[in-house]
Amino acid sequence: MLRPRVIPCLLVHDKGLVKTVQFKDPKYVGDPINAVRIFNEKESDELMVIDIDATRENREPDYKMIENLAAECRMPLCYGGGVKTVEQAHRIFSLGVEKIAISAAAIQTPELVTAMAERVGSQSVVVVLDVKKKMLGGYELYTHNGKKSTGKNPVEFAIKMQELGAGEIVVNSIDQDGMMKGYDLNIIDKIRKSISLPMTVLGGAGSLQDIGKLINQYGIIGAAAGSLFVFKGIYKAVLINYPNWEEKDRLINDNMQKV
Amino acid sequence: MISLIDYGVGNINAFLNIFKQLGIAANKASTAEEVKRASKLILPGVGAFDDAMQRLNESGMRDALQQAVIVDKIPVIGICVGMQMLANRSDEGVMPGLGWINGEVKRFDPATINHITKFPHMGWNDVKPVRESPLFNGLETGARFYFLHSYYYQCAEEADVLATSAYGLQFASAINHNHIYGIQCHPEKSHHFGIQLLQNFANL
Amino acid sequence: MSSRPYQICTKTIMDTTDPNIIFDANGISDYYHNFQETILPNWHTDERGYKELMQTAEQIRKEGKGKDFDCIMGLSGGLDSSYAAYIAKDVMGLRPLIFHVDAGWNTQQAVGNIEKLVNGLGLDLYTEVINWEEMKDLQVAFLKSQIADQDLPQDAAFFSGLYKFANKYKISTILTGANYSTECCREPEEWGGYPGIDTMLFHDIHKRFGKRPLKSFPLVDILIYKIYYRYRYGMKVVKPLNLVPYIKKDAEQLLFDKFGWEKFQHKHHESRFTRFYEDYWMPKKFGYEKRRAHFSSLILTGQMTRDEAIDRISRPEMDDHFLQQEFEYVANKLDLSVKELQEIFEGENKTFNDYKNKKWLIDLGARAQRFLGMEKRLFR
Repeated sequence: MLRPRVIPCLLVHDKGLVKTVQFKDPKYVGDPINAVRIFNEKESDELMVIDIDATRENREPDYKMIENLAAECRMPLCYGGGVKTVEQAHRIFSLGVEKIAISAAAIQTPELVTAMAERVGSQSVVVVLDVKKKMLGGYELYTHNGKKSTGKNPVEFAIKMQELGAGEIVVNSIDQDGMMKGYDLNIIDKIRKSISLPMTVLGGAGSLQDIGKLINQYGIIGAAAGSLFVFKGIYKAVLINYPNWEEKDRLINDNMQKV
Repeated sequence: MISLIDYGVGNINAFLNIFKQLGIAANKASTAEEVKRASKLILPGVGAFDDAMQRLNESGMRDALQQAVIVDKIPVIGICVGMQMLANRSDEGVMPGLGWINGEVKRFDPATINHITKFPHMGWNDVKPVRESPLFNGLETGARFYFLHSYYYQCAEEADVLATSAYGLQFASAINHNHIYGIQCHPEKSHHFGIQLLQNFANL
Repeated sequence: MSSRPYQICTKTIMDTTDPNIIFDANGISDYYHNFQETILPNWHTDERGYKELMQTAEQIRKEGKGKDFDCIMGLSGGLDSSYAAYIAKDVMGLRPLIFHVDAGWNTQQAVGNIEKLVNGLGLDLYTEVINWEEMKDLQVAFLKSQIADQDLPQDAAFFSGLYKFANKYKISTILTGANYSTECCREPEEWGGYPGIDTMLFHDIHKRFGKRPLKSFPLVDILIYKIYYRYRYGMKVVKPLNLVPYIKKDAEQLLFDKFGWEKFQHKHHESRFTRFYEDYWMPKKFGYEKRRAHFSSLILTGQMTRDEAIDRISRPEMDDHFLQQEFEYVANKLDLSVKELQEIFEGENKTFNDYKNKKWLIDLGARAQRFLGMEKRLFR
């Protein structure tokens, strides 16, 4: 039986792993290589690694780091951060990364999605939508680590990305990021109903029950989380954790509706 | 020496890293000479069928591969699109396949799939062997692997189906005819399940 | 270096790789005698020990009334600190805050064990994550210094982090997993058992070989924590494992049965660097085997026979292929090429005496402690 994917998402800032709250106040949580190593040993379904500075600082992705991470991973790896051209995407792909995530670049030059899909295959092109609630209702897309508002509607944009050949859409809630109070089911629902592409959601997971709820509602979906798999307890102690196969199966069996 | 066929498609390093971890000698083969010296071959593949077949045909290794596999009977395993290339043809393209295991590659029928996302078949799914094989030694029941594809292999002979997985239908997720093997998923990205399978292939 | 003919203790397996070892007429080392004469008579794990344990517990509980936790304890995920956590919570009835320092080398097993204990015992966890760029710089500096004790950076991070936190939040009681049962035979200094955090040594080595400033790295000098913290803040260190029967095999079994805790092949294997350092770097570069001291402790406490120890020490813990891969992993992680690490490995060995240090002062302190009966193990 095909299972929904449970995906740790790691943010890289200044060569270190960090966790943010609503995209602000990065807290240092350790060395990326060691974290990837541990998630690998815990046999996570996939792994997402996002460089949160690259776009803002207008610099190249850290290829050496990416190469080291890819060498450690025995599960599919998705990298995002600072990717603007097909050449960059291809280079990263050749280093052994399965999926390339773009966000700002997809908004600035949507044709990049099609060009990338042609070069590395559409299943490897992931578009990340950083979404934030608008003051008077509705949602808006943001870029540059949540600093630049784009005025764009996430649902319309997701549909456009599907048309242009993206392979997967990641919906990342800025409001719920790091809050551990649950996913933003509202925007997830809106986008899920408008596209047929594989979807992964990120931002807000506070417990495995939140992931369970997602699975119950949508079945096959990607459930990504940062804080949940990195922190433990009221002092937010840094302790990498991830459900083992039995726990994951139980979570899925308890929640997935019989198709 | 196990050789990964390097024709510009597929994540070769992932395989090499695994064999290195296991202490098993493995290298890349990018020339006919290197293919000739291989004791076992792995044909990786991602992306579109026609693109992969074209690159393989233009790699300079096509004839050496034919010789090694069909005449010299060197064990070979095709991975993902590499497995699909073993077929006669594919719905995805117009080029002929290698034709090493009779069958054709079909697109999943969206009407049979009950999920919102029909394509691709992506994620961890069970692989159920339908007969005994050294390829599955040491793998527990409920072994699962990572899949990422939109087309599946339809074997001409039932006997060539080695294992099945469920996605709309029970499709052949592993095939085998004599010394030729194919696996639809990505063992190089399937943790200990994949590592065990690759080790088994090395031990054939 | 040493022109002594090789000799090995007939009771333990400590030998002349400790250049200062003393043998009596029967070939028995002073490690054995020290254990028999100094440690054993003062080590009670029966009702006397239990009584003292519960009295201490009562005291700590009283002092901690009304606070979120009554003591703090460092947890590495290894056997000693794990079992001590169990004793603290389930036997002593304390409410410890579990403190873990992540220096970047945690094995997955260690992390898993910490999680199982914290969940199983229902305790709160606080972690200090050492800035990896600084840790890496310090470790590479130490490697380049060519001294034997390469675990000083990790040890400094662990203890300094713990003491600093306890000091900041005015926690007066620290529980540790230190114990006679598996540690009564102390590793001699020549093997790198430097008796504590000497900031003078750290600064000298870092000045000579380090490249980036240590801004956030915690470094608390031994004089500060043994004297200042203790006398000024009344900070005390409690070692519960010396007051209860502590048999390695039984402890591993209990932790597994209760919490699913997974045992390690050998001591200190919870840190990937320490495992590499004790199983490859030290023996191959310096000829020192820390296991000699570990096994000797187990022999003295009746948990291992001398024959078993002799047999086990004749082989490395991990096989060659594995150690080769670890060599690469360590090089990679420290941003060194394998060649660079190999060059350091083949470099001329030095000792801490090649650098500025205040060991003479620390030794004085240790001698005073032994004199006052506060430290019973053999320190050289």
